[in-house]
Amino acid sequence: MVNLFKRMRKLKTMLDIRVGTGAAILPSVANASKEFPAVTRLHLTYAQKIYGADNRAGPPPALTIYFADRIGSTATAIAGAKKITDKHAPAPANGEKMATVNIKDLTYQEIWNRVQASTGAEEIPVSEEDKAEAQKFEDMNTKAVKDRERIQAKRQAKKDQERMLAEARGEVEKLQAA
Amino acid sequence: MSSLGVTLPAAARSILSSCRSSIREATIVPAFPAFRQVRGMGSNPQAKGKGKKAAAKTSRRGPQEFRQKSLKDMEQFALCDAMRYIRALEVGRNPTSVKYEAHIRLRTRKDGPVIRNMIRFPHAVQTESRICVICPPDSKQAKDALAAGAVLVGEEEVFEAVKAGIIEFDRCLAHPDSVPALNKAGLGRILGPRGLMPSAKAGTVVEDVASRVEDLRGGTVYRERDAVIRLPIGQLGFSPEQLRDNLRTTIEQIKKDASGLNDRINKEIYEVVLSSSNGPGFSLNGEFKTDASPETSALTGV
Repeated sequence: MVNLFKRMRKLKTMLDIRVGTGAAILPSVANASKEFPAVTRLHLTYAQKIYGADNRAGPPPALTIYFADRIGSTATAIAGAKKITDKHAPAPANGEKMATVNIKDLTYQEIWNRVQASTGAEEIPVSEEDKAEAQKFEDMNTKAVKDRERIQAKRQAKKDQERMLAEARGEVEKLQAA
Repeated sequence: MSSLGVTLPAAARSILSSCRSSIREATIVPAFPAFRQVRGMGSNPQAKGKGKKAAAKTSRRGPQEFRQKSLKDMEQFALCDAMRYIRALEVGRNPTSVKYEAHIRLRTRKDGPVIRNMIRFPHAVQTESRICVICPPDSKQAKDALAAGAVLVGEEEVFEAVKAGIIEFDRCLAHPDSVPALNKAGLGRILGPRGLMPSAKAGTVVEDVASRVEDLRGGTVYRERDAVIRLPIGQLGFSPEQLRDNLRTTIEQIKKDASGLNDRINKEIYEVVLSSSNGPGFSLNGEFKTDASPETSALTGV
């Protein structure tokens, strides 16, 4: 049986999904505007492995955003800056328009800024409790590193002691045999 | 005496032993009544030793039941909320292979019978499984089994294939008439480790092979291991309603299994956890959705 506390802690790491970077509400059909139409789906193409600093092996990483009926001007501007096509992205369904963002050499924060600007997504506000909880887990993690080192040192010392004892015994036996 | 000595409290024991010694002293050693009496009074050393041993034994064996902690501090979720998180966590995985899993934890003793059975879901979870039936070829059962969808039917040719290492099936059934032949062929060594060896205990030696084949094709086998029953209950594309139906069927059947085991065995469901192939487990609180959960249509499809 898994320890309840362990289970809870594993579950709580999904806090990042709820309030971390990129946790946002995309415009839906109900509250779409002219500039920011509803987003139907997203598609991300990325290399399964990264060889070295610049990833030459895989396909160029690209994020495709599918809009319900039209593309806003911001999305066009961002996607249009460097025209790329993503051959892995599925074709748009009836009436869908797609904008592909080139995300090569961007950090995830930069990517997210672009996506947010082109879709008009509203970030989910982080409540005080969530902040406190995130802080708590952060503290736990830093403490865990320290504790791990401490225990590691302890175990190593014990192992060393045992090894020395064994060696000493072996020498005694050798002496007796000789 | 020894069993009495263990179970009776010390006072009763001393009374009992004093009674006995008084009878004995009347018959065997009439000359030393006082001596006997004293020995009887200062509690029987043999019984005392036994009692100690018994106590040590129970502590070494530990508790008789699986320890299940209180779920008071466990955060529990409505089905829709749990599905929402699981779907978010499974992004980037192959959506066709990801399954929802249910872990049903029971409050039960460590020994005693376990639940093992199979279930047919209202919404099929698994893709077709290939079934092998061992029964005399050219018999009525063989024909019925083939008609029901078994891929491999027969006796000798199946044994030959298995011995050659060609196992092209996921389930194996046997008709009782073929069991002697099966045992003679000595396939336990090959099929046993794969969990394919037919046995009456596992419910894979049956008279009515054909109906069992039908059951198996749409059914999922489950069993209780260390007080938990784990089984896949849905594909990632299932709607919350479909998943709820499957979950409900599962729980009902497990309750039925538990009540059908034995009068003296008491098994009850203690926690239901929804998980997925790669996700963490979400303890369910039995509700379908909360006010904050999204529309069920948003939780459907891949």
